[in-house]
This record gives sequence, structure tokens and C-alpha cells, in this order.
Amino acid sequence: MVLPAERPRPADDVDPATLAIRATGLVKRFGSGPHAVDAVRDLSVSVRQGERVAYIGPNGAGKSTSIKILTGILRPTQGTATVLGFVPWQDRRRLAARTGTLFGQRSQLWFELTPRQSFRMLAAIYGLDRAREQRRVAELGELLDAADLFDAPVRTLSLGQRMRCELAACLLHEPEILFLDEPTIGLDLLAKRRLRELLVELNEAAGTTVFLTSHDVADIEHVAERVVVIDHGRVVYDDDVPTLRRSLLATKLVDVGLGGPAPAIVLDGVREVARDDALLRLSVDTTRTSIRSVLDVVLDRCDVVDISVVDPPLEQVIAEIFAAEQA
Amino acid sequence: MSQTLAVVRAAFTDATARPAAFWTQVGAMVANDLAMIAFWILFFHQVRSVRGWDADRVFLLFAILATAAGIVLGFLSNARRIPELVETGSLDEALSLPMSPLRYLLVRRVDTVNVGDVVFGVVLFLVTGHPTPQRAALFVGGVVVAATLLTAFLVTLGSVVFFTGRGEPGALGMHAILLLAGYPVDIFTGAAKGLLYTVVPAAFVAAVPARIVDAPSWRDVALMLLATAVFVVLARTAFGLGLRRYTSGSAWGRG
Repeated sequence: MVLPAERPRPADDVDPATLAIRATGLVKRFGSGPHAVDAVRDLSVSVRQGERVAYIGPNGAGKSTSIKILTGILRPTQGTATVLGFVPWQDRRRLAARTGTLFGQRSQLWFELTPRQSFRMLAAIYGLDRAREQRRVAELGELLDAADLFDAPVRTLSLGQRMRCELAACLLHEPEILFLDEPTIGLDLLAKRRLRELLVELNEAAGTTVFLTSHDVADIEHVAERVVVIDHGRVVYDDDVPTLRRSLLATKLVDVGLGGPAPAIVLDGVREVARDDALLRLSVDTTRTSIRSVLDVVLDRCDVVDISVVDPPLEQVIAEIFAAEQA
Repeated sequence: MSQTLAVVRAAFTDATARPAAFWTQVGAMVANDLAMIAFWILFFHQVRSVRGWDADRVFLLFAILATAAGIVLGFLSNARRIPELVETGSLDEALSLPMSPLRYLLVRRVDTVNVGDVVFGVVLFLVTGHPTPQRAALFVGGVVVAATLLTAFLVTLGSVVFFTGRGEPGALGMHAILLLAGYPVDIFTGAAKGLLYTVVPAAFVAAVPARIVDAPSWRDVALMLLATAVFVVLARTAFGLGLRRYTSGSAWGRG
């Protein structure tokens, strides 16, 4: 397992001028005295310009608090940070003009207005002239396949449609960094996949730095190049996604709906994790046995009425990271 | 300025998106205010004047109060919601935009019901205020300054929540100043009257502007501008210092 203490983190050995985010020793304490809580403790993290970073951790780990510090919403109790060369809590307005934030659990679009009406207001706030606003709205409508949604009141849009419009709102001013907090929460599978593709496209086309928190392992696998895991306000893991994939994301779960009794499935790297009369759940280490091989055996030996392949929950991945750290 | 106008335009479009609801609420508030006027008509039918305040002066006072309070509670409605916005973490929305968070919050939301107060106040002045060009100009000026002072007072008290974690002072202060501003200031005497010119500056929300419209004096104008300037500085300082202590939250409500 690769841990911060064992080798330099991926962004530590680069020219500071190319860093989009650099935070050192951040502490955020809420309250005082015996009831004080440190939401962020000695957090140090760096992100290169144009990097796609997944910033994950269990609930209460300090993800949202640290994002709010990096966007200037909160002031840290201790520590230093620069984002695009600005100290966020001192240069919040100038920084906000160059960053975009998308929070899956809130809307920056106004519910009674159409997205286009909200875009007009945001364009004025970001100082876009009318011609640039219209050009950007047209570009984003095409990029997000959402032009036909821009003239419907936001309250009439589905969650997936709304998220596409939310993304358009936060991209309107062509931000250099996107801070995304649970952007796929509540979306259906197709909408999630489309949003992930869009984030990668944006990053590749415009070099936009993506800083993403999520509880969905697939967001990390399909969007991020690098994973930073925090717990209790500290970084506990920091490495690139291919390494994480090899070590931890290689495990998939196969859920088999049964129409009758099923024999034990004995294959290298396959473990039975749950079984009852109607369901068999297998954990598959795909570095040892391919999913295809497992499906072939299952379909051959079992009375299958349904089958699905899913990622393990993020909590399990994080638990394995912690287990490896302790080992 | 264009930022503020853009948010104002969006807030007004948002508030009028459902025209039937908008006009129903405006009408309901006008009816409510008419009931108050009916009370004063009955009162002055029995008593010709109270310490120099007759029906015409009280109607003028009420017209200024309704218009100024309607502007603040209707068009700058978040002025009274600072504690709620802070407690629910709703300042995050304002803080993620490249504009003054206080300015954004103040114009972010229109409460349609209080727009009825503005309509009522203006109509009441036109009907009972003996409008002349000079009186109308003084009425408009008085209303603008009174609304500024009221906004600053509400923001100052609301910002106490940053330091104490409690929003009650904001709510109590709003009810106190609006209640006290609705009475002729001369019915109060001694320390109570002093409070209305200082700690709870209700006198400047309606009585002093009404006096300026009726009998303009530089002394009253200077007093009013001074009081307003003091509360504007207090509001900006309290909110600015408070933001440094802002702790945000996980509830993303409508700001």
C-alpha cells in the first residue's frame, strides 16, 4: 500500500507554479474549549493544473469543510493555502471569478426561473458581456446536450436534466478549477455516465482542473486520475487511480438472482459473500479471474433469473485502505 | 452595480413567476394595511389629535412606514433572515460568487406579500399626504433613507448570530422597531424616547421622515443621515467580522 509517509505524493515533486491547489497544515476547529471539534487536522494536499482528483472519505471525514476552505467560504483555524495563486479566504471574490462549484445537494439555479434566466444573472455577476454569454450558453447547450432544457422552468426538470443545467451554470464563466461535491448524487445510471464523460471531456478539451468528492466508486474510476482519501481531517491515502484500481478497485461484486438451488462457485479469486434461496453474491478479484469467466460458470451451473455486476461500496474500499494502512 | 441589478431582475422575475399568487398576496397585504387605517380613522374620530399628531400626520407616518418597511421586507427580504441563513449554512451560495455576499443576499429574494405594503404606502401618501412636488420628493428621499436605516439595523442585529449562535435578537429587534415606528414618537417621553433615537432607532423609520415632509429642517435631515450612516457602518462591520466566524453547514436551503 502506498501511503503519504512512504513516498512523495503525486503533486509534491512538481514546480509550485504549475499547482492549481496547494494547502499546507490546514486545521479547522469548530467551537472552543472541551467541546471543540477539529473537522480538518493538519491537512496538506497539492493538485496540479489540469489534474482530475477524487477527494474521498467517510461521512464526517472533513471533505466538505476542506472544499469550503479552498473556495474561501470558510477560514481555517491554522495553515496556509493558495488556489490559482490566491489565498482563498483573503481573495475570495477574485478566486470565485476563476473557479466553479457544483454541489449535488444544492442548486445555484433558481427554481421558478428557466436556466437561461439564471445564466443571464450569473453572466452579469461574472462580468460576461452579452455576446460572450450567448456564445457560452450555445456552446454549453451543445456540449451538455441540454439546449432544449434551457427554456423550461427549473422546477419542471428531472434531477438528471437539472444537473446538466447546473453544470452549465458553473461552467458559464469558463472556470479553471471545478470543485464538485457529490455531483452524481441521486442521478440515474445513464445520467451519471453522461456527467462523468462530460467532466473528462471538459478536462481534456479545456484543461480544467477537476476536484471531486463522491461516494460512488464509479465516479472515481471513470473521472479521476488520482485519489486522495481523508479521514478525521487528515490525508490517509494519495495515489493515482491505476494504482488504486490494481490494488483495491479490482474487486467487483456479482449479484445472481436464483430460480433454484445453486452449487458452490469455486474459482480462483472468487469468494461467496452472501447467499439465500433467491440471491447469491460473489466477490470477484478481477486480477485473478475475469468477470466473463465467472459469468460463464454461473450461467452454466445455476438457474439464473437475474444477474448484475456492481462496484463495491466506497465504504468497503476505504475500509480496505485503512486495513492496509494498519497492516 | 450591474451585478446587483441582474440579481434584482432575477429575484423579481422569480417572485412574479406565478402572477395569480403574486397579486393575491399583494392584495391581501393592502387589505391588511387598510384595516390599520380604519383603526386610526375611528381613533381620530374620537380624539382630534395626540400631542400634536392629527389624522393627516399619522397617515403620513403610516405611509412612510409602510413604504419603507415594504421595501425592506419585500425587496430586501433577506435583511431579516440573516440568522436563519447563517444557521442553515445558506451563506455558502453567496460566498461562492464573485460579488459582495451581503449585497447579493439582500437583493436575492423578493417577499411578494410585503410588496403590498409598498403599493399601499405610496397610494396612501398620494391620497392623504397632500402631495406637491416638494412633499413628494421629500417623501421619496425620506423613504429611501428610512429603508436604508431599517436594513442596516436588521443586518446589525441579525449578525449577532455569528457571535452568539442565537438568532433571537434579530427577530426581536425587527418586531420592536416596526411596532414602535408605527406610533407618533411624541407620545413617548424621557428615556423611552431617547431609545427610539438611538438603540432602537424607530423614530428615524417613520416619525422623523414624516416631520421632514411636513416641516423640513436641516437639523432633522442631518440627524437622520447621521443615524443612518452609523447603522450602515455598524451593519457592514458586524457582518464582515461575523463572516470570519461563519461555520457554514450541511443544509443548503433557498437563500
